[in-house]
Amino acid sequence: MPETIVIHLTINGTERSFRTPAGRRLLDLIRDDAGLTGTKEGCGAGECGACTVLLDGRPVPSCLVLAASCEGHKITTVEGLVKGGSPHAVQEAMVETGGVQCGFCTPGVIMTSVALLRDSIDDREEQARRLAGNLCRCTGYKKIFQALEVAGNTDD
Amino acid sequence: MTEIQSPLGGTHRRPDAMAKATGQTRYVGDLALPGMLHAAIAVSDRASARVLDLDVASARRMPGVEAVVTAEDIPGENQVGVIFPDQPLLVTDRVRMVGDRLALVAARTPEEAWDAARAISPAYEDQLGVFDPEKALDEASPTLHGNDNLLHTFQVLRGQTDPDHLDAEVIVKAHYEIGGQDHAYLEPQACLAVPEGDRITISASCQCPFYIQQAVARVLAIPLASVRVEQAPTGGAFGGKEDYPSEPAACAAVLAWRTKRPVRLLYSREFDLQVTTKRHAMVVHHRWGADKDGRLVFAEVEAVLDCGAYAGLSTVVAERANVSAIGPYAVPNVMVRTRIAFTNNLFGGAYRGFGAPQVSFAAEATMDTLAHRLGMDPLEFRRINLVTPSDPLTCTDQPLEAPQMARACLDRAVKDSEEHQTAMRAPDSWRRGRGIGLVLYGINLHRGGQFLDRSSAVVILQPDASVIVRVGLTEMGQGNLTAVQTVTATALGIQPEKVQVWQPDTTTVADSGPTVASRGSHSSGRAVLDAIERLRRRLDPIAAELLSCRPEDVELAESCARVSGGGPSVPLIDVTREMAARRIETISTGWYRPEPREFDEATGMGEPYASYAMACHVVDVAVDPDLGLVRVEHVAAAHDVGRVLHHTAAEGQVEGGVVQAMGWALTEELKLDQGRLLNPSFTDYLIPTSDDAPPVTVALLEDAPGHGPFGSKGLGEPAFIPTAAAIRNAVCAALDVEINRLPLTPPVIVKALAKNHRFKDLIE
Repeated sequence: MPETIVIHLTINGTERSFRTPAGRRLLDLIRDDAGLTGTKEGCGAGECGACTVLLDGRPVPSCLVLAASCEGHKITTVEGLVKGGSPHAVQEAMVETGGVQCGFCTPGVIMTSVALLRDSIDDREEQARRLAGNLCRCTGYKKIFQALEVAGNTDD
Repeated sequence: MTEIQSPLGGTHRRPDAMAKATGQTRYVGDLALPGMLHAAIAVSDRASARVLDLDVASARRMPGVEAVVTAEDIPGENQVGVIFPDQPLLVTDRVRMVGDRLALVAARTPEEAWDAARAISPAYEDQLGVFDPEKALDEASPTLHGNDNLLHTFQVLRGQTDPDHLDAEVIVKAHYEIGGQDHAYLEPQACLAVPEGDRITISASCQCPFYIQQAVARVLAIPLASVRVEQAPTGGAFGGKEDYPSEPAACAAVLAWRTKRPVRLLYSREFDLQVTTKRHAMVVHHRWGADKDGRLVFAEVEAVLDCGAYAGLSTVVAERANVSAIGPYAVPNVMVRTRIAFTNNLFGGAYRGFGAPQVSFAAEATMDTLAHRLGMDPLEFRRINLVTPSDPLTCTDQPLEAPQMARACLDRAVKDSEEHQTAMRAPDSWRRGRGIGLVLYGINLHRGGQFLDRSSAVVILQPDASVIVRVGLTEMGQGNLTAVQTVTATALGIQPEKVQVWQPDTTTVADSGPTVASRGSHSSGRAVLDAIERLRRRLDPIAAELLSCRPEDVELAESCARVSGGGPSVPLIDVTREMAARRIETISTGWYRPEPREFDEATGMGEPYASYAMACHVVDVAVDPDLGLVRVEHVAAAHDVGRVLHHTAAEGQVEGGVVQAMGWALTEELKLDQGRLLNPSFTDYLIPTSDDAPPVTVALLEDAPGHGPFGSKGLGEPAFIPTAAAIRNAVCAALDVEINRLPLTPPVIVKALAKNHRFKDLIE
């Protein structure tokens, strides 16, 4: 058996601890140990962004993050954006504008978008650069940008 | 009373969107069952070799391994060829491509399964391979199957077919080398097989559950009725989940059958890129001639598809390429020859556009070159050669129902392009160009595939006036659930939210063929309308009783049944409750089957498609003349859609199609060495990002009704097809060069600039 360790972290506002192999990726801890399958694996190499989660509020590809390095930190996944049964403004906006097609990139796109809005990035060029780590093969990105705009106005 | 707006053409929310946006949608990778094993595939790392000895004994002893299966362990036929029986599930004596399967592994964890699969390394004797599709057709080339590498030849012969006997003022000879493309769906291939006694359930990320049903029944030697295939939510497909998913499904099924446990197979991105089907690389030779007034006199096209090692769907792809090679132009003399060559390269399969993008690229490039040689404006040259109501015949002599839509799409895209105002993003030192891509798209399956062209639907009206719908065509992101929901709600006069369209399952509807050829909303929508018509034979008499009118005077609108012409109404729920109380059958089936068509394969004359749609993209680019970088600044897309079913979904098809085609045109290069893909990652195989995506102006023209529900026409593929040609024409206009290959990567552009390049000495 591989060496196991105990990791304590906060996922979606709840403090949790997991006994897990030492080399576990944050993505696997989220999906397999915490059972939060909303976070997707599209490449396993940090290239596609489908597995993006917020680590202390910062978007990271969870396939490249060692779970053990998250000891004591805060993780937010796409499931954690729903508060009191109400979806986040970005989730609402993605649905409203048609930014969702096949849906596989959607959770990652939403997590990056949430961080963009929180940082008040409203320059389109800057948004395009920051979203470039989230590949989408269906939409051509136009409706994802529209969703950012709609959600930005909702937040105000 | 306020009129409730019909959902037709609307922007209501997609039914599947919120579950996807909140992470609730369960794709195959999110499904796990107690006792489930994980599958892996041992594949060949060489493209052409004899397998001398395949020893799997040591793999069987590796940690966690529960089963290792080779060809002799397959209960049924060792065959997964979708049209021709030329492709084994597991090879025995010979590998013909990188990725040919040698053995299957089931283990307790995915890591253990793939470790064992990678440890399987047979003794090979390398053989000479062939990697150039044209050379593959030489008699001296090593062959993959039988006596030669020619799988099939298609032709179109119209008028005088020898250009040497025709007079033309200007003749353009051009040679096009067109690269393949990976689908790069965000969800890699995935399936789950669950055995249960003498039957099995497959959940798969796929476009064609009925193909999987047939493949699994064949490898397990069990009846079709014993195979249930549920389409799992599918994370993108684009053709890559048409033919191909039958192969992983057959692998998982064989392992599940063997171990009597659930088996899940998930591809890694690298494995997916390396072994799955690709858009066919093609070589196209043109000789086109025009008279001094700029009228096309003849068009000669010689196309060769690189099929890869197995036939797969290549004949069907070539069939579409063959009749799409001329575009929406009236050309009196046509000779098209389309040949398919086996090679030891990557395996060609279905991909959005299905052979049409390659030949359309060549056609539109030649149109520009001809215009330049004639000293004409490419726009004007196109206008005078278009099919028109007075000259409405395609190159197969088929009269078009709405030839005027070619001009309408062309003019609209040009206008939208000229009126576009947004600031250019590239530096001022870059050169600017504008290009046109105009295409004629045959909607739905070619005549050669019409035996597959039928569709089944089930509609169940609930006592609370909500509705369950089942169709046989799949949702892969394109919006088929939305389209079917919209069609149902419109036909029943109810709100879309009252309609639940469930994912396809082969046990709930009859074989509806594949979800391909932009036929999803058309074929499933027409079957739903048929089901609703049959349902109303039972519903209308009940409504008529409640309304005290004749059944033929009942209409459904605004969630009511009412007397047509503005008479009294009763809520639909009162009718459905009454039907429930009287125990009247509220389940109805529907069927759609287009009329048979005539087509002569020898001459290519006849009706390859039931009807057509036009599409035009006009592209503005900026090109860095030093580095050869291309920035697409704007795309104006005009589409002949008949009738919009759902506005947001239709726009999304066009916007996504344009950007996907932009990737094919500019950056998505499949780098091959002896049949092996050298760049199987998103770091080295570059699909467009948000930073690359141009603004796209979409015009959906509803002037010419089609044969889909409410007059709609298929849109998924025409959204893709014109873009690459328009980009090529824009780049060539910007640099005043002629480049006849795809993708237009920086080295290709810099090389084309040659003596005009600032650092020409360094380039050589």
